[in-house]
Amino acid sequence: MSDPGPAPEVVLNMPARAEGVGVVRQALAGMADALAVDATVLSDMKMAVTEACTNVVVHAYDEDAGELEVQMLAGEQDLTIVVRDHGSGIAPKPERIGPPALGLGLPLIAALSDAFELRGTAGRGTEVRMTFAYARDGDPASANPVSGSVGADGRWEPGDPPA
Amino acid sequence: MEANPIVLDETAGDVVVVVVEGEHDIYTAPTLRERLEEALSRGGGLVVDLTAATFVDSSVLGALLDARRRALESAQGFVVCLGETVEPGVQRILDITGLVPVLPVMRGRDEAILAARDGHDA
Repeated sequence: MSDPGPAPEVVLNMPARAEGVGVVRQALAGMADALAVDATVLSDMKMAVTEACTNVVVHAYDEDAGELEVQMLAGEQDLTIVVRDHGSGIAPKPERIGPPALGLGLPLIAALSDAFELRGTAGRGTEVRMTFAYARDGDPASANPVSGSVGADGRWEPGDPPA
Repeated sequence: MEANPIVLDETAGDVVVVVVEGEHDIYTAPTLRERLEEALSRGGGLVVDLTAATFVDSSVLGALLDARRRALESAQGFVVCLGETVEPGVQRILDITGLVPVLPVMRGRDEAILAARDGHDA
């Protein structure tokens, strides 16, 4: 086989608005087309990247939308997706418009990815870095199950955050 | 034409079916909440049909759980149905969050309508 050349990389920069999240999914699907990604893995990638981008849209910025940056780095065996904002860090914002989020975003990302890392400092933004093997031996959701459940009052009660 | 429509089907009489098609996330969740609200305001049972939905995220689950809670409070039936074919972008999030028995989730729309008419959780 000939040298495949440098690993493909896609970088998206867009305003952190709700309508952009679907665009990120489409870009991811386009990139996955060029890679040998299992359908179930692609489905998990879409879900995880959606939750990461949603966190940026909902939590990163106070008023006017700042920037949402998504980087997709294709390795030989896996795809790393980095979702970044330049907001005020991982401290939750006072609730803006709309109902409160379920707090399911990070637990879902942990369950759906093979590896995930959250980096953030106050005033410097947050970065979620997640890696997905193109083909899996097992289900990462078994290793990192989503904890939490619906309480007697009908509301979602998050469990312990993923380790 | 709307690419990801959410429409009310009231042909079942006392049970309103909210038919959700395509991809849904934080962008369309406010519309879904409006439709669910509208359906609940009819006073009967509520079925959310995700058969033709290809993707739903936690924003959608939040909308469904809120509607379920409101339905329970007012003794209205609430059931989600997925159809006979499994769409990974819908099934997966329901499975790993353990919400299948909670919502509850069924397969066919007809059985879901019957269950919602009976007030499934009541």
